[in-house]
Amino acid sequence: MRAAAAAKYVAFARVATALARRDRGELYGRMLFFAVILGVFSSLWRAVAEAGMPIAADPKLLVWYLATTEWIILSAPPVHTDVQESIRRGDVVCRIGRPVSYVGAAFAEALGLLAVRAPLLAATAWACAFAFTGWIPSLTSLAWTLPFGFAAAALITAMYLWIGLLAFWLEDVSPVFWVVQKLLFVFGGLMLPIELYPRAMQVAAAWTPFPAMLAGPASFVLRQSGAGWLMLALEQSAWGGAAALAVWWAFRRASATLTINGG
Amino acid sequence: MRERSNHLAFVSALLATNLKAAVALRGAFVIQVVFMMLNNLTFFVFWWALMRRVPELRGWRLGDIQVLFGIVAAGFGLTVTLAGGVRHLSRFIDDGELDTLLAQPQPVLLHALGLRLQASGFGDMLSGIAFIASSGQVSWRAAPVVLLAIAASALVILACGILFHSLTFWLGNVDTVARQLWELLITFALYPEPLFGGGLRLVLFTLLPAGFVGYVPARLAQRPTAALVVLTIAAASAYLLFAAAVFERGVKRYASGSRFGVHG
Amino acid sequence: MRATPAVDITGLCKAFHVRRPRTGGFAARLQDFVRPLTQTVTAVDRLSFSIDPGERVAFVGPNGAGKSTTLKVLAGILQPDAGDVRVLGLEPSRQRRELAFRVGTVFGQRSQLWYQLPPRDTFALLGRVYEIAAADHRRRLDALTTAFGLDAILDTPVRQLSLGERMRCEIAASLLHAPRILFLDEPTIGLDVSAKAVIRELLHTESARHGVTLLLTSHDTADIERVCERVIVIHRGRLLWDGTIADLRRRYLTTKRITVWSEAERLDLQLPGVRVLSSGAYRTELEVALDVASVGQVIDAALAQSAVRDLAIEDAPLDAVIRALYVEAEAGRAES
Repeated sequence: MRAAAAAKYVAFARVATALARRDRGELYGRMLFFAVILGVFSSLWRAVAEAGMPIAADPKLLVWYLATTEWIILSAPPVHTDVQESIRRGDVVCRIGRPVSYVGAAFAEALGLLAVRAPLLAATAWACAFAFTGWIPSLTSLAWTLPFGFAAAALITAMYLWIGLLAFWLEDVSPVFWVVQKLLFVFGGLMLPIELYPRAMQVAAAWTPFPAMLAGPASFVLRQSGAGWLMLALEQSAWGGAAALAVWWAFRRASATLTINGG
Repeated sequence: MRERSNHLAFVSALLATNLKAAVALRGAFVIQVVFMMLNNLTFFVFWWALMRRVPELRGWRLGDIQVLFGIVAAGFGLTVTLAGGVRHLSRFIDDGELDTLLAQPQPVLLHALGLRLQASGFGDMLSGIAFIASSGQVSWRAAPVVLLAIAASALVILACGILFHSLTFWLGNVDTVARQLWELLITFALYPEPLFGGGLRLVLFTLLPAGFVGYVPARLAQRPTAALVVLTIAAASAYLLFAAAVFERGVKRYASGSRFGVHG
Repeated sequence: MRATPAVDITGLCKAFHVRRPRTGGFAARLQDFVRPLTQTVTAVDRLSFSIDPGERVAFVGPNGAGKSTTLKVLAGILQPDAGDVRVLGLEPSRQRRELAFRVGTVFGQRSQLWYQLPPRDTFALLGRVYEIAAADHRRRLDALTTAFGLDAILDTPVRQLSLGERMRCEIAASLLHAPRILFLDEPTIGLDVSAKAVIRELLHTESARHGVTLLLTSHDTADIERVCERVIVIHRGRLLWDGTIADLRRRYLTTKRITVWSEAERLDLQLPGVRVLSSGAYRTELEVALDVASVGQVIDAALAQSAVRDLAIEDAPLDAVIRALYVEAEAGRAES
């Protein structure tokens, strides 16, 4: 029975892989954007080093840090739009009755997309980072970023999915998506490691899931080691659990509203 | 003279209709404006946090970054409100919306640009002006020059949008590519020019004129000189005229009927 | 002296150069870029016709026949490859702007109305598009509102209107600037029966009252019959038929349909040239081939079997007639 259920999810994931391949225009655009951003920032961090860097961080490390955070965030497919569309069209109503949980299916599809984007973007990230710095961090630290980075991207995807579910109550979820994404950029330390923020902001960030999504996996590169992996694993699991709960709860509330309204 | 004043009446009528349509859903309108302002603010947090530690970067201080960012944001906002149709040009060309416009007596490009208005552009304009005003780099007396700088930036952004989307006339629907290129233009424009090396700098003042979107207008706003005024106006006009000419060429090609796909 | 024709086309030719992508992988794509395969498709082939002011003409043909292409040439959207085209005495390709002031268009599939706003706002904008003086605009709008019954819906956002209401506004919008000629492409598509009837009535009345020339394409033959008097049939870019609908019927009239309501439950009519379409429940439908049998013969035969309660004699439906035209054309092509 378990095998059958798993097979269904795998089928969804395969469909998504095909979808991802079809949307490759956007993916190539993302790769180009990646190259540009890394180029700009390698220049930036070199300029900062010239001006006297207050933190003991090599500009090369900071470029690789950015490469990692950008890799994670660009890999996560913006599923909130698909979920919103699906809800608007009324697909969800049909799928509520089906044995495959709608949420599970949507997530499996998203993971499929992620599975295609992540490796391509990782390769782009590393190639560009190497091109602009002429250096590679220790292979162990890179190895540590992979599983945690992938998990982080999955976590971000779950968050996007939850935002998409808000379409049951909101006319348009895009503004919510933008704000959450920006909070992720800031409190996740996308461009600047969180250690460089003012104290107050560091404290605020610690209360959010965002550091576990970006700064956490990327700091292996900064530290050049796998130190802190256990802590990060615990954090990601905790937030993963919270995400699953939030998504499940949202869907339950939504189904309840739908059944009350007569479907 | 009569013809031009009629175009003006037409353009203002388009704008008025667009505004009415945007405000028709009041809640959505406000949300778009407010959230775009928040969006811009979070981008700026990076520079603020960095410059608390490193006050000067290759001659650039936080105030300079604010002016640069403010000009690009306001210019972009101006473009997507007054000429919001530019973001949809590829689609207009590809799905035949252009036919409707060609059957009407007003200039096609002007009409197409005025068909849409993006409410978030108001958020961009407001935050842009807020950044410039709070930068401490620009005095109130310089307001006319600042407005000129914003207008020039907007015109170059618009020109590039028209150019990228006009490729559809020759290559078929290039909507995704055009959008990515446009995004690239804005991205480059938001970063201080000393960060870019020689070869790239050449590109940024020619093929992908981020230099005329951000750097030159920002310089103009902070340290206006007659030469800069001339350069700014000349560059903006040149790009816009070129873009309009390419679009017209494209329409001629469209009218001759050689495209992908057959129409019965 | 004959008045200037509303539309005058002589020898119109228009071909499209279509890029046909090669099949295959990357190498094929590269070849496509370096040396694209182009195929020339003739959309319109030496088409000639003339329409007088005030006429209502239906433009009929199967998909891909060249109807839309011809309309687009007339509107100035496409350039002809060869031939002489004049609309209201003007050359569409050279005098597009001038012509646009006098021409109205209605595309059934595409809307001019702004979705979020009431029709009144679109009308106001169109006033500026067509540079209509304020007083004239007010007068026209009042007249159209009365004629089209738009009072109740003029201030309702378009997204809240039904399809029929939207179409009424759409047509009113196209007439706002008092064009001399109106091009309509599938104006009743997607509408229910009563809405279609309303639209047809409006079009016919407006045209008759103000002398507006109508050129209408439609797949619905009732549109053609109720609105127009003349039909131009086009097939593979060539003119097949140009004449009145009555003439078309007569020329291709080979069958009539007879429905008999009888006292007897069934009629058993076996006559040469008579095909029984349905029989039973006191009602019989027959198709009569006029070159073999006559209507009179059939009626006599029916009366001989049973008393007749009611009788209906109809011409073959128009689309059957038109289809016969296509078939004949195809046969002609096959032979040549």
